[in-house]
Amino acid sequence: MFSKRNLVAYTIAFLFILVLNFALPRMMPGDPLMAIYGDEALIAMTPELKAQLVERFALDKPLWQQFGAYFLTLFQGKLGYSYYYNAPVLSVILGRLPWTLLLVGTSLVFSTMLGIILGIESGWRRGSRTDRAMLAGLMSLNGFPDFFLGMLLLIAFGVTLGIFPLAGALTPYSGLSGLALVLDILRHLFLPVAALTLAHLANGYLLTRNTMITVLKEPYMLTAKAKGLSQRVLKYRHAGRNSMLPVVTQTGIWMGRVVTGALFVELVFAYPGVGYLTYEALLARDYPIIQGVFLLVAISVLVANFLIDLSYPKLDPRVSYAY
Amino acid sequence: MHIDLKKEIKESGPGRTGLIILLLMIAVALLAPVIAPYNPYQQSTASLLPPSWNHWLGTNHVGQDIWSRLVFGARTSLLVGFGVGILSTLLGTIFGVSAALLGGLYEKVVMRIVDAFIVIPMIIIVILISAYIRPSILTLILLLSLLSWQGGARIVRAQALSLKERGHVAAARSFGAHHFYIAWRHIVPDLGPILLVDFIYSVRRAVFMEAGLAFLGITDPTVVSWGMMMRDALSFSYLDVWQWWLVPTGVALSLIIIGLTFVGHAAEPVIEPRLRGAEVA
Repeated sequence: MFSKRNLVAYTIAFLFILVLNFALPRMMPGDPLMAIYGDEALIAMTPELKAQLVERFALDKPLWQQFGAYFLTLFQGKLGYSYYYNAPVLSVILGRLPWTLLLVGTSLVFSTMLGIILGIESGWRRGSRTDRAMLAGLMSLNGFPDFFLGMLLLIAFGVTLGIFPLAGALTPYSGLSGLALVLDILRHLFLPVAALTLAHLANGYLLTRNTMITVLKEPYMLTAKAKGLSQRVLKYRHAGRNSMLPVVTQTGIWMGRVVTGALFVELVFAYPGVGYLTYEALLARDYPIIQGVFLLVAISVLVANFLIDLSYPKLDPRVSYAY
Repeated sequence: MHIDLKKEIKESGPGRTGLIILLLMIAVALLAPVIAPYNPYQQSTASLLPPSWNHWLGTNHVGQDIWSRLVFGARTSLLVGFGVGILSTLLGTIFGVSAALLGGLYEKVVMRIVDAFIVIPMIIIVILISAYIRPSILTLILLLSLLSWQGGARIVRAQALSLKERGHVAAARSFGAHHFYIAWRHIVPDLGPILLVDFIYSVRRAVFMEAGLAFLGITDPTVVSWGMMMRDALSFSYLDVWQWWLVPTGVALSLIIIGLTFVGHAAEPVIEPRLRGAEVA
């Protein structure tokens, strides 16, 4: 089921990330404890704590034993402690994760669905005026960086028109509950989701359109047409379904990039997800958080790729014979 | 590979548009000292001025001329873009061709490393490294190149594998040509169009990355960069300044990326010949 080749690649990727996470702070000049914990730790550091941490990270031992100690603490699920937030890294990240999942999940659904539909319609009419206009329009849209789109939306609908809130994921201290709270969250969600959806619409569209064009040349399309099937069935069931495979792969890859994908948009809208957390941590030089996010990204990427591999045979039964 | 790349780009409408945009941008970057009326770093007390005859796009929060910064920003963007494009295409060619020609364990190792790197999102590695060392322009180019050659290597290897079975390569080998000679004389010249497409997409990725990282504030703060200008402009979004500060910068950045996308899309049939005729059909 699961190809050996991919397994090897994922293992290498994971090890590379672990080694990078391990090596970077320890290669920095000066006290490695400072590089591991960041400036904030200096205030909290007592001689006893320092001795305890040196012991935990095996900093007085050879390098390979240090790596062993690092690996062991990770394996126990200890991602470290953030002195900036004064909380364990894992709980800080998990507290922010739902917002990112909500934001990226919603926009991923919209951009994928819209992209597939537009791609099918455009590919079906390839060469026509509609197709060319859509192609040029969406490719131009693809050139706008997501943070620029976000800023334009923010200024147009937030600052100038004042329809949508400028920042955050909900109104602070509003004491809302029930339906009012849901509406408040949706109002805050609208602009960031719109920015992300627009920014990624073209990816699904271009892939679907490209595959659509090759699929339309297949002999089975001629057969289907000769059988007298309706245009809708031809377009969506015969051509469309077969054009979806690359989009599924891409959506899967995007799922893996859930954490990084919304980084810039979260920053523009001060949306309190993992991306914004990463930015705050960068400003505060809160290394444990950055390292934790990095590890989380690695894990989600690998899981997403694993899921793509699993879902492939469902979409294209031929794939399962290939192993 | 019997597809004429020049013809392919010239005959596609968007391809031509893209090429014109890119050439204009390159001209602006090269002629920056002539076009820009002020030194982009020179600060004055006249901050946040609206557009006027003296300052076409007004001035920013420390009194620098925005138009001059915009013009010089093209240099940073294109320098990083083309620097990464050249280096990563070079690395991709070296590893792709050598993997195809040498084969065996070497090929396996190289290709597994390629697979592994394609899986990890580049941006998070760059952010992690930037958190420890604030990269200069040169470091940034090297870093991005090291992280972006893998996709190209995969395509190059696939193409080189088929080229290596051709008659003329077999003939050269029977005359005793060694690997390096075969790669240089018989494989690389035939890779031309594929390398160009790979190059264009590498440039696009790098331009985007540079702007994004500058927007996050983790690149060299002493170099003018569009990403940084947009970051500065965003903090004044409650004023009218976005009209001449944020929008022109964002549009300039988008134009470069759109130009590259158009050219890349027009050249894509080189990698996927089945797409040919998609525009005219």
